[in-house]
Amino acid sequence: MKKLILPGCILFWAMAALAIAQSQGQLLTSFSPGPSTAAFHEINGLFTGDWQQYGQLFTSLQSKLFSQIFLLVITVVPLIFLLHYIVIGPMVFSHEGKQVYYFNLFARCIHWVAGISFALLVITGLLIIFGSWVGGGTLPRSGRIVHLISAVVFSGSAVFMLLIWAKDMIFTPYDFLWMLILGGYLSKEKKPVPAGRFNAGQKCWFWLATMGGAAMAVTGYFLYSFQGSPDTLRLSAIIHNALGAVMVAVFFVHLYMSLFAIKGAIHSMISGYKPEAELKILHPRFKI
Amino acid sequence: MGRMKFLCDIERCIDCSGCVVACKEGHHIPVGVNRRRVITINQGKPGEKSISVACMHCADAPCIAVCPVDAIYQRDDGIVLVSKDTCIGCGYCFMACPFGAPQFPSGQVFGARGAMDKCTFCAGGPEETFSEKEKTLYGQNRIAEGKVPLCAAMCATKSLLAGDADEVADVYRERVFKRGSGTNAWGWDKAYKK
Repeated sequence: MKKLILPGCILFWAMAALAIAQSQGQLLTSFSPGPSTAAFHEINGLFTGDWQQYGQLFTSLQSKLFSQIFLLVITVVPLIFLLHYIVIGPMVFSHEGKQVYYFNLFARCIHWVAGISFALLVITGLLIIFGSWVGGGTLPRSGRIVHLISAVVFSGSAVFMLLIWAKDMIFTPYDFLWMLILGGYLSKEKKPVPAGRFNAGQKCWFWLATMGGAAMAVTGYFLYSFQGSPDTLRLSAIIHNALGAVMVAVFFVHLYMSLFAIKGAIHSMISGYKPEAELKILHPRFKI
Repeated sequence: MGRMKFLCDIERCIDCSGCVVACKEGHHIPVGVNRRRVITINQGKPGEKSISVACMHCADAPCIAVCPVDAIYQRDDGIVLVSKDTCIGCGYCFMACPFGAPQFPSGQVFGARGAMDKCTFCAGGPEETFSEKEKTLYGQNRIAEGKVPLCAAMCATKSLLAGDADEVADVYRERVFKRGSGTNAWGWDKAYKK
């Protein structure tokens, strides 16, 4: 055993000396500074990350395009409807004949909770987008709070809408035919269109409001809470704005259809009854 | 008219964070908001370098481009400022900024972000110069007093330069001529003859 101590010590010291010599060499060479450009390259990585990827995209979209798209949506879409109302005119059905119970009280309540909160979301959302028109400050700032509260209310009601209507909203082959003739709204003739309890347009709106609403809720959560990396926030803002423009446009379609295009259609969501004369044309496949 | 700029000489910055403290203390900036910060690369390793970062007061600033309420504006001398009365705290400027300069105090109603706060180049805000409101909302207005920003004024190694872009560039150029830059810069090898 004793014979091993001395060679062991020698080996240990030799190894230690080697290690020190090695690190010494490394220390001495590496203290000479590298090129500044290399340092700045590294700093930029920490600093701006890959801003060019989503940061630049967000900046270029948000600086002009988004507000222009929203401006188009809130001007051109109502103009098209005005034109449609003048040229083709609304569909008028007799509300005298047999009435069919279409929406129960629960469905109507859910619809109006969702409807009012969605309308508030649209108004306050537009208030934020066009905040410079009112000079910023208190009005759009409180708009953001209302936007948050409405979003929570709408998310809740969207879950109930999914539960009560999802099975009626599943797409069927004849929905494609409905889409091809745009629900017969482009002609003055009253011919039965291929639609069941809900037509293809209503189905699109339903899935956009629920599934799109879920996407808006998730991205909106990121935007409001500021949780997540800057790139997550940038992507959320892009999705929230782009999807928002689509939803506002389709919301206007829904408003036009229920208030103007089909005379008295809104009453079915208040009383729950639809006239049979209307169902025969617009929802012929609905089994009473 | 001059064009105001910051420049941080990374061969001189020693990561003392004096600029951060001076800014925070001098303007009474709330907790959670940092107008200036120091980034260090290769910390504790050979080739360690630090840089002090705040708002870059960009020409064609992305924050101004994305602001939905036009709360951010640029002065003739290039200083980018925000009007806290107009700002709605949407956070778009933070998403557009490559440097993470816009900061938001929290703790408002429903956890909403307050108005954006960022480096003012010690030039206050849109309020009346030297008014009480300007001081509470934006901090000191040293530019109006004819002084350089606090951070640059107190920088111990004078690595952080602030002022007219041409002047700053001249100072930096002279330095680089004298001591070199990057691999040629004075450093350990000069100090220890190695």
